[in-house]
Amino acid sequence: MPTDQLSRTFAALADPTRRAILARLADGEATVNELAEPFPISLQAVSKHLKVLEEAGLVSRSRTAQQRPARLRPGPLADAADWLTFYRKFFEGSLDRLDEHLRNIRKGKSRG
Amino acid sequence: MVELTITRVFDAPRELVWQAWTDPVQVAQWWGPRGISTPLDKIQMDLRPGGAANLTMVDDATGEEYPNTGHYLEVVPPERLVWHDDGFADGSGAGTVTITFVDVGDKTELTVHAVADFSETVRAQAEIGWGSSFDKLAELLARPR
Repeated sequence: MPTDQLSRTFAALADPTRRAILARLADGEATVNELAEPFPISLQAVSKHLKVLEEAGLVSRSRTAQQRPARLRPGPLADAADWLTFYRKFFEGSLDRLDEHLRNIRKGKSRG
Repeated sequence: MVELTITRVFDAPRELVWQAWTDPVQVAQWWGPRGISTPLDKIQMDLRPGGAANLTMVDDATGEEYPNTGHYLEVVPPERLVWHDDGFADGSGAGTVTITFVDVGDKTELTVHAVADFSETVRAQAEIGWGSSFDKLAELLARPR
């Protein structure tokens, strides 16, 4: 499902400049000018990054204010993070115990 | 889609690793991270396509139960085990888990590949707009394992 929202979310996060923009927005909303300041790239390039972040559902932009400040929209990111955190913890932890279990079985110590 | 892949090599022949995954008595001994148990009487494994894959984990410290339900999609001993996972209680994170067992001499390379779909949740959240998802994440991270 290439057009899936979550794929877009992760594709958007793959770029270091976009991650830096998100980190900046975690401190509060900002305009394109403000966002461009710390980067050696053009306003157009920042606008392009913002568009990707917006399409990924990570950022929303005011439709009314003239400067159209951008702000974080953490929803999709948090859900995916929830899932990844939970499943990674679950499987890594289980596989550690499976490794022990298999060692015990091979030593003939299994209680099962 | 969100994906997770974990590969491990176990110092045991493939047949033994397959049995550890498919014999409920053995599964009860290792399923779940440390601090979590999966008692045999809370394991329902009907190992055939369409068969139930229901395992309820219990938090050793609090006794809290974490039910997990699904059904098998493929059972190909001793190579492949695939099941549909119903995901979290709110219906998000439903997806497919594929376990692949590869024979590497007297060892076994095992790969866990999990894929989950959050498109429904994302759509619902897009309608709500600014959510309280950071609170949810904080809650999850604070939860004892």
